[in-house]
Amino acid sequence: MNRYLIRYKRYGLLRYLSNHENMRMIERLLRRTAVSFKMTEGFHERMRMSFGQALPTGVIDRAGTFVISTEENLDEEFLRIANILAPKSFEMSAIKKVSEDFNIGTAIEGYFFSLIFRERPDLDENWKLKENGKLWIARNFVQFNSPSPRPKDHGQFLTLRDEIVWR
Amino acid sequence: MNVLKDLMDILDDVEKPSRYIGNEYNSIKKSASVRMCMIFPDLYDVGMSHFGVKILYDIINSSDFASCERSYLPWIDMQKAMIEKNISLYSYETYTPINEFDVVGFTLQYELSYPNVLRSLKLGKIPLKREERNNTDPIIIAGGPCTFNPAPMENFIDAFLIGDGEEAAIEMMRAVKRGKTRKERLALLAQINGVYVPEYNSKVEKRIIPEMKKAWAPVDQIIPYTEIVHDRGVIEIMRGCTNGCRFCQAGMIYRPIRERSYGEVFEIASGILRKTGYEELSLLSLSSADHSQINETVSLLKTLKETSLSIPSTRANAFTVELAQAINTVRKSGITIAPEAGTQRLRDVINKGITDDDIFSALKLAKDNGWKRIKLYFMIGLPTETDEDVISIGKMLDRIKKMSFSEVSATIGVFVPKPHTPFEFDEQILPDEAFRRFKLISWAKRFAKLNFTDPEKAVIEGILSRGGKEIGRIIEEAERKDLIFADWDELFNPQGWMEIFDEKGIDVESLMGQKSFKDAFPWDFVNSGISKEYLWSEHQKALRETLTPDCRNGCTGCGVCPKFGVDNIVQKRVTDEQVSHSI
Repeated sequence: MNRYLIRYKRYGLLRYLSNHENMRMIERLLRRTAVSFKMTEGFHERMRMSFGQALPTGVIDRAGTFVISTEENLDEEFLRIANILAPKSFEMSAIKKVSEDFNIGTAIEGYFFSLIFRERPDLDENWKLKENGKLWIARNFVQFNSPSPRPKDHGQFLTLRDEIVWR
Repeated sequence: MNVLKDLMDILDDVEKPSRYIGNEYNSIKKSASVRMCMIFPDLYDVGMSHFGVKILYDIINSSDFASCERSYLPWIDMQKAMIEKNISLYSYETYTPINEFDVVGFTLQYELSYPNVLRSLKLGKIPLKREERNNTDPIIIAGGPCTFNPAPMENFIDAFLIGDGEEAAIEMMRAVKRGKTRKERLALLAQINGVYVPEYNSKVEKRIIPEMKKAWAPVDQIIPYTEIVHDRGVIEIMRGCTNGCRFCQAGMIYRPIRERSYGEVFEIASGILRKTGYEELSLLSLSSADHSQINETVSLLKTLKETSLSIPSTRANAFTVELAQAINTVRKSGITIAPEAGTQRLRDVINKGITDDDIFSALKLAKDNGWKRIKLYFMIGLPTETDEDVISIGKMLDRIKKMSFSEVSATIGVFVPKPHTPFEFDEQILPDEAFRRFKLISWAKRFAKLNFTDPEKAVIEGILSRGGKEIGRIIEEAERKDLIFADWDELFNPQGWMEIFDEKGIDVESLMGQKSFKDAFPWDFVNSGISKEYLWSEHQKALRETLTPDCRNGCTGCGVCPKFGVDNIVQKRVTDEQVSHSI
């Protein structure tokens, strides 16, 4: 059995997908590739997948990731085909083979988030603030499994998960 | 114009925003000379589950001159947000306000959605009444089973398409393309078979397709992001039903039956799975167990890997259980059957065509095969019903529970007589009487879960389905008073409706009362192919408790086939060997 780590970006209107909706969208997209992935046991078979930390609805994700297993050998060509079969505003950017015992939950240290403001915000010192043209961008590291920022929670108009920090 | 940018400003503030974002996988963006927006007048979660929209969406978008986009009625929170930001109701493909389309089409699947249609027009800034519209407004069309009585909605709809839409939809788009003005367009629409333009036509015949072409089966089905009511691939295996149940409008208006062959179903199914990635397929028809090749179809579809099958609408006999057995190889949680009535006498009145023996041998088979939960459907208020018939529902549940199922539940609805059925002449019981009859069964609560549907909702449904043009004022007032989403329990306000009936002087008792052959109905000018004489003779047979056989076994003379020059299309049974050969 081969295990693969796939990284993806989800932006535009797709940021309004809930975590569950996002997972189902990805599963159906993978099913369209006709690659036979490992399924769960039980009556309603689902694809066996593990994801990085769940995001609140409304957050743009540039650091999405999941792990899947298959007997087949997958490469960049698989990614290219899968991206053709993907909905608009969803894009898989990298695929990497990982070991049988790879655990996504322990592999990720945390994430960098960015909040984008139209006016200079008043934030605590954990946020690094930068002026960029007419916008203000605040960036912060969030430990894996700590609460993610939510849309508008600091008055920002966009919330992004930017980057994975691996252990 | 495009509302996308404004939309982005409000989606963070509404519940389940994914139901408003559109642009789903397999949705089609196309530029064309005639643009239509098809609206399912209910929440996205319901509307996206509807199959008719999928068919017409595909057919229109496959044409070389017309395009079809979609819209739905947003939930209350979203409506408020849209009004505040002055965002018009928009299409899910290009975020175009609906009043910029050439044609706006509604599907009328249930009468309680009528106020939702008016709310959609309002949100789309389109004048509600057809006489208020001019050349810059879209042509408003409607289809679906409710159009078999167009009268209640005819103040608001420019053209109704009554019957099968596969061919007529394209003809309608062509008429709109040819006509230069609103008047010309309506005049051209009025010449199409199956189309009723209130301004031009005084009568209309339903439209029919003699067979279901394979190319009409939607394969590239749109995948919603939101979890919708029926989130799965759908294949229509048969249209129409030959059982002739006298209470069933669908059984009357969708005649004759047209079956797809198992091989065709399999090809369509494989295509859907490939194009969608769905993990579940549903076989759609009014009575799937009646399909001549249902066994062949199921055994072939079971060869599709990692896909589960579902078959709604089956009959209450042993075969239904065998079928469920064939489909569900592992889980045996619940099985649903619909005896409709508690006594054999009443089942004969409604021509249900099943016996106590059928029902109990089905249940025994279910029990022997490990099913533990049973769900049943009944109606009260059927013509000729006596207290004994009602009490017998409880007795039946008692007998079923004693077969030692772990859970027996029953949904008991109030019967609403529908136009174009043999029971269109019959009265509908009013809420007080319905509550009295419910009480006759409530003792069964000791051993069965009972779910009584709301008798007041049934009255509203009855008035909207059997009323005439005068009901238009009721619908307008209902929308104005926010009586939208009436099918959603949390928003259902029966008192509000009753007040409107009062204010507008609707004589509920007479509208719901017994009628005779000589009485004129608001839908008499709509020819479903079944004559009023035939419906009356079926009504008389019902009173005599006489059965009419399934017309697969010989014509019963309803008149549809000779009228339209069509026939039942029934597939031939084939051997297992032939089936396995086709894999």
